[in-house]
Amino acid sequence: MAEQQQPLPKVVLVGNPNVGKSVLFNVLTGAYTTVSNYPGTSVEVSRGQCEIAGTDYEILDTPGMYSIMPITEEERVARQILLQETPHAVLHVIDARNIERMLPMTLQLIEAGLPIILVVNILDEAKRLGMEIDLQKLQKNLGVPVIGTVMKRRQGLPELQQAISEYASVPHKTFTYGSDLERDVTRLATVIKGDYRFSKRATSLLLMQKDEDVEQLIVTGENTENLELLQTLVRDVIFERRADLHLQISMERKKICKQMLDGVVQQTELSEKEPFAELLSRWTVNPWSGVPILLLVVYFGLYKFVGGFGAGTLVDLLEGNIFEEYINPPVINFVQQHVSAEWLFELLVGEYGLWTLGIRYAVALVLPIVGTFFLMFSLLEDTGYFPRLALLVDRVFKKIGLSGRAVIPMVLGFGCDTMATMVTRTLETVRERIIATILLALAIPCSAQLGVILGLLSGVPGALAVWLLAMILVFLLVGLLAAKVMPGEHPIFYMELPPMRLPQLRNVLVKTLSRMQSYFMEILPLFLFASFILWSLKMLNVLEGLIGALSPVVRAIGLPVEATSAFVFGFFRRDFGAAGLYDLQTNGLLTPAQLTVAAVTLTLFVPCIAQFLMMKKERGLRVSVSIFVFVSLLAFSCGWVLNKILLTTGLLA
Amino acid sequence: MNCGLCGKEIPADLGPGDGKSPCGSCRGGCRKIHCPYCGYANPAPGKFLRKMLQKNNEEKTDE
Repeated sequence: MAEQQQPLPKVVLVGNPNVGKSVLFNVLTGAYTTVSNYPGTSVEVSRGQCEIAGTDYEILDTPGMYSIMPITEEERVARQILLQETPHAVLHVIDARNIERMLPMTLQLIEAGLPIILVVNILDEAKRLGMEIDLQKLQKNLGVPVIGTVMKRRQGLPELQQAISEYASVPHKTFTYGSDLERDVTRLATVIKGDYRFSKRATSLLLMQKDEDVEQLIVTGENTENLELLQTLVRDVIFERRADLHLQISMERKKICKQMLDGVVQQTELSEKEPFAELLSRWTVNPWSGVPILLLVVYFGLYKFVGGFGAGTLVDLLEGNIFEEYINPPVINFVQQHVSAEWLFELLVGEYGLWTLGIRYAVALVLPIVGTFFLMFSLLEDTGYFPRLALLVDRVFKKIGLSGRAVIPMVLGFGCDTMATMVTRTLETVRERIIATILLALAIPCSAQLGVILGLLSGVPGALAVWLLAMILVFLLVGLLAAKVMPGEHPIFYMELPPMRLPQLRNVLVKTLSRMQSYFMEILPLFLFASFILWSLKMLNVLEGLIGALSPVVRAIGLPVEATSAFVFGFFRRDFGAAGLYDLQTNGLLTPAQLTVAAVTLTLFVPCIAQFLMMKKERGLRVSVSIFVFVSLLAFSCGWVLNKILLTTGLLA
Repeated sequence: MNCGLCGKEIPADLGPGDGKSPCGSCRGGCRKIHCPYCGYANPAPGKFLRKMLQKNNEEKTDE
């Protein structure tokens, strides 16, 4: 009869992505590993075996996770392994260079009562950066074994193996939160009666954060009477703490980590790169230095590079030379020779033709500008500047009495207004959601549209400065309104800052090209569709009537009647309208003052059809149409006021 | 790929429009990858560019 095999004691590797978990896994297990999908998912989990001090162990390498409160499927699988397995030891692998950012998860794992060994990896790089980490002291503070390693050189491997083989589970330390949070955790923990893999304390915290898997666990783990009591309590706590629970837990964990690391990490010597990166990071978030840095970025990155090089040199080359001299004449000749019907000629190469308007605007006018803008955007993004910019904006807003809550949709809106409009559903009240939707529709151009508008204005001295000033004033107006309607009691904006670094060429190129490709795919059909609509209106003799109806409004803000068509374009997308303005300006039909007024008005329009559809989906037809009308009226009102100011002061004359 | 705002790693199998809350309002589908952690719209590289990015990450992740 075959002898029944005892399951091997398990060692589970957990940690953030890119901290060296897989290297440690390979070092421990060698070549004998299997990779399989975790049941019911497409997430791969590696398993292997090793022998330490005469005992065989099964080693599991889990997908990267940032917290035991999962968001992605990968994190859910990693957490599921922790919830289902009964490991001999859990190795939490962290990057020594980012110890402060990664230690909160160690606290969570200790809090969960898991048999933790903390592996502080990549110690060599940390040392090179001048960091000295007192591992003994950290071990004493945390109350779990702490091993320092450089796994790619197998340094620390014998100590780690010894820690695994000698691991003795002892009751973990309890890290105490603020008294009100402790009271709620205790309220829940005393009611929990079931037997779970995670401690009652950790289970309570996860329930308070609406963790669906743990909610499911208690349904099977508690008896009916207790389950009802527990669920009622959880609902009460969640309702009482609906404004800031996640934030408070994060902040308190961060505070505990600071205490744990007090005297543990010493910056002994100055290295060449990191201290400057840290210094720069501090400068970028401090309003006194951050605002001048932002102005430098705007001046050199946007005004000089996007405006001067993109909207000037590149557009001149593409539009003025290549299209006007080499591409358009043969295309128009070809159509003239082969197309006799006037309507078809107009449709292809007429005033609003698919080629002469749709393709020329998309390829020759907009693409060079957004291309240079995306290059600058990706470069800044790769340095880690954006989260610092968000923090800076939040600090500046708070200094002038604005709520931090308004910052979240604004930051997301610069990436994609449509998505940010959807994110407004997370706000507490209907009133807040409507105000945030108006803010996004009115004052936040998405990055691509911002690039086109800035590029357009950069070629005219003074126009960009006036536009910026006008936009800041509108920002303040709507921001103060938002602060009045959405007064946050606490600073809601919270974000962990990733390290600043030198941008990587390949990353920047890939991101730039991807953005250009997706932008082009998005706008080209829309530009062609808009050209088709304009052509149809012209053929039906409706366009003249429409332009005639709109022209009093356009004249009222001091623009020539020819600018009306650009505003009709702008209803499709702001950047399409901006391209129309560019065309007018290069043909000498707009003065600098008129161009600035037109650009301000256009920037304040609803950005695109997709955002309008999202507004309709989120807020309903009546509210979204009202927002559209309100935003359009406000846009023209701002244009009217700016025109009066420019005429009175003689600015940009 | 790491998120351009929060810096966290976006799972490799996440495609354009996937993620925690794809909005789906853009014509022709969303060509952005919304970070599951912070919601920021990251560009979605095509097949070729994605390969380039993976190669870059493989070179970088030698720890």
